[in-house]
Amino acid sequence: MIHLKNIEKVYRTSTVETLAINGISLDIAKGEFLSIMGPSGCGKSTLLNIIGLLDEPSKGSIRIGDQDITGFKDQRLAKFRNEKLGFIFQSYHLINDLQVLDNVELPLLYRNVSDKERRQLAAEALEKVGLSNRMKHFPTQLSGGQRQRVAIARAIVGRPEIILADEPTGNLDSAMGNEIMDILINLNKNDGTTIVMVTHDEHMAGKTHRLVRLFDGSQVQ
Amino acid sequence: MFKHLFKLIWNKKSQNFLLLIEILVSFMVVFLLSSSVVYYMINYQKPMGMDYKPVWMIQYNNELPTKNTDSIVMFYDAVKQHIASFPEVAEVSFSGNNIPFSSSFSSTDISNKGVKYERISNFRVEDDFIKVWSMNLKEGRWFNAGDRIYKDRPIVINESLKKKMFGDAPATGQLISNKEEESKWRVIGVVEDVKDESDFSPVMDGMYLRIDTGTFKWLSTITLKVNSNADAAFESRLSKYLSNTFKNSSIEIAHLEDMRKEKNRSKAMPVVIFMIVAGFLIINVALGIFGVLWYNINKRKSEIGLRRAIGATGNTVSIQLVSESLLLATLSLILGVFFAVQFPLLHVFDMPSNVYFIAIGIAIIFIYLLVFICSLYPGKQAAGIHPAIALHEE
Ligand SMILES: Nc1ncnc2c1ncn2[C@@H]1O[C@H](COP(=O)(O)OP(=O)(O)OP(=O)(O)O)[C@@H](O)[C@H]1O
Ligand SMILES: [Mg+2]
Repeated sequence: MIHLKNIEKVYRTSTVETLAINGISLDIAKGEFLSIMGPSGCGKSTLLNIIGLLDEPSKGSIRIGDQDITGFKDQRLAKFRNEKLGFIFQSYHLINDLQVLDNVELPLLYRNVSDKERRQLAAEALEKVGLSNRMKHFPTQLSGGQRQRVAIARAIVGRPEIILADEPTGNLDSAMGNEIMDILINLNKNDGTTIVMVTHDEHMAGKTHRLVRLFDGSQVQ
Repeated sequence: MFKHLFKLIWNKKSQNFLLLIEILVSFMVVFLLSSSVVYYMINYQKPMGMDYKPVWMIQYNNELPTKNTDSIVMFYDAVKQHIASFPEVAEVSFSGNNIPFSSSFSSTDISNKGVKYERISNFRVEDDFIKVWSMNLKEGRWFNAGDRIYKDRPIVINESLKKKMFGDAPATGQLISNKEEESKWRVIGVVEDVKDESDFSPVMDGMYLRIDTGTFKWLSTITLKVNSNADAAFESRLSKYLSNTFKNSSIEIAHLEDMRKEKNRSKAMPVVIFMIVAGFLIINVALGIFGVLWYNINKRKSEIGLRRAIGATGNTVSIQLVSESLLLATLSLILGVFFAVQFPLLHVFDMPSNVYFIAIGIAIIFIYLLVFICSLYPGKQAAGIHPAIALHEE
């Protein structure tokens, strides 16, 4: 499903050059639930952003499905992200000025989906994460775990083939973390969604199919 | 998308409140400014209805020693003859002090079939007045020597007054009267409107009454039309003659062209000052809008990053931000237009209502343009925000 070949990422500022990813090749199968671990600053988020087409590698090539993404321009990238990928972040990234339902609808706004269908799909996604009774709330009126569930609903509302999650349980206590983890596992199992998750938690990583460890920009296992 | 943006703005209404008010105030200022400018332009485009360029005005103090009517008449006849005999002079006419571009004004309220017409500009004129000013007769005739004897005193009115009183029907032959309905006047003619206050002023309703020699002793103004050879030398000869004739009187000769310029200047001055003040205000508002949008975009970096991540292109993001400001402007404009239409409805100023509507249109276009331009650059900037970096910030 996802094929990375010799990916390198160099961050250049006027004074320093950081090699965030140093020659990583990785194949992720369709329907796989992969976790990535490693010490802080080793390049996990960078790698995930590259897979998510949010960041361009300095070197190497990416294929997702049967498409070579390298060299895609802004518009095609955006369309691809919108249709194929779902994102979950450690800090949720909900829009606080929009109600839960409107937050969940967001990805469909950039597609040709009618108003009514959008509502319906968003409501369904919220039901999946068990938040049907919070549709009219604002994010600030929710707990951390609830917020992350809204974010998951937003990630799955467009029925993506791949979900990329960067420390989705990082801000949550273990009970709430487990809840989130269960939702992701179910998504993977029932819908066959490919999931790539960055985590600091060995316990969470243990629940996934495969674990990749990074150190200083390189894969160590 | 529209609904989405509206929700976004609506939910942030308290944050957007200041900007809303700022846009509203600018709209009102631009509206008021363009009302006066539009009004001036409309008036400016109207014909003058006369030719003031070759006209000079003479003013004198009327202090003749004699009380004998016959000798007074003879005296003024002689003065008129003499002035007319200068080769540089084409026409001469005594008149009341109310002449175009002068600082004096006299008005009368009149009535016709029970309807009152107020503040009609009242001109006291001689038979040659129409020739001095090259005015245009639209209907009937101007005064002549035969009007010395009458049953109902003859009166000439201008087109504006005629339209109000008689519509499209002819006015000639109609009887009108003063407000108290004591003296009756017979309309003998209608002249084209004369723009007599300034180039930017509206035409007032006007009436012309013939002065006969009996009232000459009350007058202190002579108007003359000069030929193209009238120069400074002629002016000093004329001046010398007049001071010799009107002893102990201060004589003033003014060119209508200069009087007109002076009037135009004093009429335009307040608008120019208003324009400068409004200009500063608008620059301020523009910077304010720009600053707020700039600040918003930086504050909303993570939102922008998220939108990019879930499928918005750079262009979509910048279109969204520009549309948001335009939508915000629309809310202010709805409120603004509501206030602005009160002006014609309540007749706040003495201007025709189409002036206000044109001004509302101008102000709407202006505000949209202003907001559009101010949000274009921040919007473009936002499009350039790299999603990975934007998501990094929180
Ligand atoms: N935009 C950037 N500009 C410069 N350097 C960057 C940038 N983003 C990341 N880096 C550097 O790249 C390296 C990898 O960063 P990354 O965010 O991928 O780490 P991480 O493994 O996700 O860490 P954490 O577990 O703390 O989230 C770090 O050294 C970081 O300083
Ligand atoms: Mg990270």
